[in-house]
Amino acid sequence: MKMNSKMGLALLASTALLGAAGAAAAAGPDFDGIPQSRRPPASQPYIGGAWTMPTRPKAVKTVDGKEPPLLPAARAEYQKRQADLKKDPKTDPIADCLPHGPLRIFYNQYPLLIVQESDQVDFVFEANHTYRFVDLTRGPPQLNDDTRTSTYMGYATGKWQGKTLVVDTMGFNDKTWLDGSGLPHGEKLKTEEKFTLKDANTLEGVVTITDPDNYSAPWSTSFTLKRLANYQPTEMVCVNDHKM
Amino acid sequence: MDKKRYCAVLAAAGCLAAPVSIPTSSWAQATVVTPTPRGARPAPPADGLRRDGDGAPETQWEPTPPPSDPHDLNGLWEVPRPSTALRTLDNQAPPFTPEEAKDTQRHVDAEKAGEPIADASTYCFPHGVPRVTNAPFPIRFAYSPGLIVMLYEVNHNVRFVHMDGKPAPANTPFTFLGYSVGHWDGNTLVVETDHLNNRTLLDSHTSHGPKLKVTERFTKVKANLGHTDLEVMETISDPDHFTKPFSMKRNFAFRSDLERDAGWGGLTEYACEENNRNIPDAFGISTAK
Repeated sequence: MKMNSKMGLALLASTALLGAAGAAAAAGPDFDGIPQSRRPPASQPYIGGAWTMPTRPKAVKTVDGKEPPLLPAARAEYQKRQADLKKDPKTDPIADCLPHGPLRIFYNQYPLLIVQESDQVDFVFEANHTYRFVDLTRGPPQLNDDTRTSTYMGYATGKWQGKTLVVDTMGFNDKTWLDGSGLPHGEKLKTEEKFTLKDANTLEGVVTITDPDNYSAPWSTSFTLKRLANYQPTEMVCVNDHKM
Repeated sequence: MDKKRYCAVLAAAGCLAAPVSIPTSSWAQATVVTPTPRGARPAPPADGLRRDGDGAPETQWEPTPPPSDPHDLNGLWEVPRPSTALRTLDNQAPPFTPEEAKDTQRHVDAEKAGEPIADASTYCFPHGVPRVTNAPFPIRFAYSPGLIVMLYEVNHNVRFVHMDGKPAPANTPFTFLGYSVGHWDGNTLVVETDHLNNRTLLDSHTSHGPKLKVTERFTKVKANLGHTDLEVMETISDPDHFTKPFSMKRNFAFRSDLERDAGWGGLTEYACEENNRNIPDAFGISTAK
């Protein structure tokens, strides 16, 4: 993600040095003061806290290092986007400060706070203060429900499978790119994200993309997040040319 | 999208950016004559029940009650009769300084003339405090070690309430939503916010400066039908704009019906940047169309 002046963005980011929120990282979470009803079960791995993605490829690959299985029309659209990007970086939808959309929201330099509770998990991204709410109390949402269609970030439900948090999301619009290189997706997109702690400070995400209008088969990609100690939340605001 | 339930009663410019159809009469409803009285309040319905924009009375709002633990604010909270208007607890105008009274009147007059003066939220910036809480959209609270995170539907605002009891660090910048420190006073969550930049309005008309301090006291209370409200007492202090601190009160309803029916915690996605029909011109004048 390139949020800089050449995209015409107003960006506010403050620095942060201190914070009680990060103190829990090494010794495990300190739930002192948090109601019992909100705390996740002690048997669950704790993926809560602040995370960052140190390595961020612009073009995501499948887990075996290949280009995703684009269908011909999707490939044409992908190539057009790449050509347009070369001519004008503002053809990137996030140049207008729209939400990043699925998968791509993880690929930026701003921290992510995961709030893990007993019945829900919130992904609170500093990037343009974008949040996702993951409901752990109900099964995957259904398409064709008019309250759950055509959103930038989709509707998410999740469940713990052993040591892995599995998040199913759907109800997307087709306005976002899956990555910074322009990988397309459509409204039939479903994502399945599997989050697994590799060690106390490393969180692996494996995302499976199912989108029959754009890809010939479901495909998976993965990324690694590193825990941020001493996290202090920062206000990051992206608006386009609406200067004031 | 079920946004009409909120925007039908809208009196805030920022809502016009929501990607939904919104009655243009909103501005007319928001028009007021002088700083007092400010903000037309809807007449109480004949049966005495509060209703949302779709007409669902509050008897249908709370199919499941909120958590019994007073410190557990989980769930969806929504102001049934939203008003960003600044009114003291005894329904008087705030104690404006003479300069602020004049400037507030300037905003009121501009709005009456159909050319409301834009503030941060009109440009899709965060709404500021306490306006973000008073906007006609629901709120959730989430608990992280050391933090209570407030998730607002309106313009996906996020506030972080530091529960470590320490004041803002010395180098804290002034931001739209400021720096919030919280603690529990019995069953009341007390949130004190400062380091607020001066680019937001407190409501649709009244400015503030860098000395603004806002104290919000959130308490679950029993409502008239046996339902649960989240009472929010807001105290505003800014000696450059008010001659003394003053307080306001609002009650949020517990909307477990929306949470049950809509999923995603009852929140709907609000993308201000998508369809801002209210982008101000070069002079900061914004005309709703």
